[in-house]
Amino acid sequence: MDKQLDLLQGTLDMLILKAISLSPLHGYGILLRIQQISKERLEIQQGSLYPALYRLEHHGWIKSEWGESENKRRARYYRLTASGKRRLQSEAERWNQMSAVIAGILRATPEEL
Amino acid sequence: MNLWSRFRSWTAAMLRRTRMEREMDEEMRFHIEARTADLIRAGAPQPEALRQARLEFGGVETTKHECRDAVGVSFLETLLQDVRHGVRGMLRTPAFTAIAVIVLALGIGANTAIFSVVDAVLLRPLAYRDSGRLVTILMDGRFPVSVANYIDWRDQSRSFESMGAADYWSPNLTGIDSPENVRGLKVTQSLFPMLGVEPMLGRLFVEGEDKDGADREVILSYRLWQRRFSSDRNVLGKPIVLDGNAYMVVGVMPPGFQFAPFWATKAELWVPNAFGARIHDRGGNSLRIFARLRDGASLTQARAEIASITARLEQQYPGTNRDVVVTPLKEKVVGSIQTPLLVLLGAVAFVLLITCANIAHMLLARAATRQKEVAVRSALGARRGRLIRQFLTESLLLGSLGGAVGFVLAVVAMHALIALSPSTIPRVQTVSIDLRAALFLFSATILTSVGFGLAPALQASSVNMNDTLKEGGRGAGSGIRHNRLRAALVVSEFALALMLLVGAGLMIRTFAALEAVDAGFNPHHAVSMIVSVAGSREAEPGRRAIFYHQLIERVRALPGVEGAGGINHLPLAGDLWGWPFAIEGRPKPRPGESPSGVYRMVMPGYFAAMQLPIIRGRDVSDADTAAAPGVVIINECAANRYWPGEDPIGKRISFDEHKANPPTWLTIIGIAKNAKQGDWTADPDPEVYLAAFQNHEFLGNSKDSDPHISYITLVARTASDPAAVISAMKQAAWSFDRNLAIFQVVTMDGVVAEATAESRFEMLLLTIFASIALVLATVGIYGVIGYSASRRTHEIGVRMSLGATRKDVLLLVVKQGMWLTLAGLVAGLAGALVLSRLMTKLLFGVKPTDLLTFVAVAIGLGFVAMVACYIPARRATRIDPVTALRYE
Repeated sequence: MDKQLDLLQGTLDMLILKAISLSPLHGYGILLRIQQISKERLEIQQGSLYPALYRLEHHGWIKSEWGESENKRRARYYRLTASGKRRLQSEAERWNQMSAVIAGILRATPEEL
Repeated sequence: MNLWSRFRSWTAAMLRRTRMEREMDEEMRFHIEARTADLIRAGAPQPEALRQARLEFGGVETTKHECRDAVGVSFLETLLQDVRHGVRGMLRTPAFTAIAVIVLALGIGANTAIFSVVDAVLLRPLAYRDSGRLVTILMDGRFPVSVANYIDWRDQSRSFESMGAADYWSPNLTGIDSPENVRGLKVTQSLFPMLGVEPMLGRLFVEGEDKDGADREVILSYRLWQRRFSSDRNVLGKPIVLDGNAYMVVGVMPPGFQFAPFWATKAELWVPNAFGARIHDRGGNSLRIFARLRDGASLTQARAEIASITARLEQQYPGTNRDVVVTPLKEKVVGSIQTPLLVLLGAVAFVLLITCANIAHMLLARAATRQKEVAVRSALGARRGRLIRQFLTESLLLGSLGGAVGFVLAVVAMHALIALSPSTIPRVQTVSIDLRAALFLFSATILTSVGFGLAPALQASSVNMNDTLKEGGRGAGSGIRHNRLRAALVVSEFALALMLLVGAGLMIRTFAALEAVDAGFNPHHAVSMIVSVAGSREAEPGRRAIFYHQLIERVRALPGVEGAGGINHLPLAGDLWGWPFAIEGRPKPRPGESPSGVYRMVMPGYFAAMQLPIIRGRDVSDADTAAAPGVVIINECAANRYWPGEDPIGKRISFDEHKANPPTWLTIIGIAKNAKQGDWTADPDPEVYLAAFQNHEFLGNSKDSDPHISYITLVARTASDPAAVISAMKQAAWSFDRNLAIFQVVTMDGVVAEATAESRFEMLLLTIFASIALVLATVGIYGVIGYSASRRTHEIGVRMSLGATRKDVLLLVVKQGMWLTLAGLVAGLAGALVLSRLMTKLLFGVKPTDLLTFVAVAIGLGFVAMVACYIPARRATRIDPVTALRYE
């Protein structure tokens, strides 16, 4: 871990959706998955994960059920719903547009103005 | 939703709730355990791994809280949560809570009590069917009219559905236990149906019962039926003896029934009114007229019609139909008490406003100390609305407690109010803390809570959390805006308090002026009682004179009695019958313009017993018998009005000059000092005192004697406490005849107190309200100045270390308070100037803009404020500059 980045506001929801779109995961698993994909460069306040999960479930984008973990413990698994898939798609598009715009702005040189 | 399904959905929500809590718990425990396991696998020792995992996770409770927020928590749960939080907060500061609750309870309780009186007396319709359509028709809006006029108005008008009339009648009820004088009315048959009332037992009068000879029936009030007939249902159809005659009981009215609603408010029985020969009578005004407007007829139409009928009649019979006024019955009943009650309601509302301002103060001060809590909560993600909601919940909690205690206070205060209320307040016996009062209390509580809670809530929730947290424990976010709000509260408190004090001051001045009014007689150590011969042996012609004579002699002989006399009606007893008379040797006056005087029948010894001086001439004496020439005493007012610049003594007047031949001439033998007759504040009218023992009618010797005058008012002057001779006086009367009814036993001090009772009541209440206001405002300014001085500790320390003397510091702090006071006083004086006008009707002998009251109140209040500021200022001067600077 050389340098950790604070999560941008509002991006945690998207990352969670993305993480469980690959396969159903429990809360701790989601944390590990995000860190793994980000190559440990993103710092997530572990506690903040759960309010986000509850909120997403409340919106109907993810669904939870109790299952068994790798080490035979009862754990709560989350998976994406159909509307969750759509949500992830639109969030991702929005993010890409936004980052393109911001990148464009940051690339701007005096001559372009 | 019915109750059952509501309960089920509530339990379902509760079950879901517990399941969610359980699952949340398990889920987070799993997370921490899994993390711990991973850390151990990475090489950490077990306890260290657990600690690390917990640390990484963060606050479990906070997380849970946020999870609950995320799925949305029900309104009720948040409320419960806030209430729990609020209760904890209140318990942490018990002194604060207790003071706030007491202050609130006082404000809310007093308001509810006054409201319950205003509601019962002013707001509720009279307890008759469609009572808004009922009116009275009276001379000048006050005085009774003659029978012939009533009949003409009834027969000639079209605007009224029906019309009825009532005469006052207070017969002696004899034949059961001790005799009693009961108040009653003689009513026309039309009257009860017009009111739309039904008897509880039996029937009302039927048509024709108000004709002569058919009128010996009686309807009892519920109270009389209970009191004298032991609620016996078999009383119907039985005869009872009134003034010696048998009347058959035909009905009993229900418990709440009262008629008349003004004047004869204590009537307990009603008999039919047979006019007999009086149907042609255009004098002898004694009837009160009641009428119900016809559907579609307006009050204006009715007034116009009565005006045209009376104008016609006045032409026909001059002097009999002037100034006839149609007044809505409700207005007649409550009209005179409306202003005083509304003034009191306004005053007590002011007290509540001050209460609000005061609690807002206290909460603001407390909010300042809670800034850290607020900052932490908002740092943890509490939104502003949520914080405001929590603060308001706490205010409501405080308010509800205040309201609950206030309810108890209101009940107590209401009973006190009823006990204290003067008899001039109608319907006061119907006052109760009922549903309407409870609703009022509830709304007052809510409004008050929001009122005092909103400012602190907005204030506290707008705290800049960074500043506050950085500032450590001091929470200096109490910047200028904060202080400005508190200053505004203090200023308004002072303004309100000043207005209340001015009101109270004006009432005190009024009361002092009333106390200074000369009654004419000496009310101290004098007692009076009415002895009625009606229904007894002594009523027989020829016996009365002897009886009255001997009775007075016997009372005079009682130990402790210095003098005794008799008269028909006492001063201030409210009987103001004016009788026209002719003056010998003067031309016959035009109708309606003949001299007249309030008519008294006096016995020897009365003037001495009352210590009502005879200014010139002499008193009536035992020598003024029926055989001697007729004599009369007049009051100063009559002397000045009818014999200006002349000596009336020796002049003769006659009351029967227009009908008797030869007329009876009475020689004026003395001039008595003016005595107050009816209204305590009214200027006296001309008054004539006839010698009772010369008057055959009064003594019941003539055949057409009015049964009304079958009693005398006995007056005794006592050496010491007048109450001590009362029972001896009664025994003296009863030693003649057990059937004599004795009533209205009063000391003259009591009569005078009664005459000023309404003003005393208003003064008392306004003074209480103003005192509460004064205390609250003083506490308010003390709190604000003390608080702001403590906030300025550092500044004061700097000033002192730079050479400011204690006096400078004292001035600095006091000056701040005095500016607030001054602003409050100016605003209050302006308000008082406007509002005191509304009190004009309550005042006597003082103008609503009385300079003395205004100045005295302003100076007094200013002084109190100065003292309240001085104490914290003194404390500020004791600040040690070194400590103060280190404090930072």
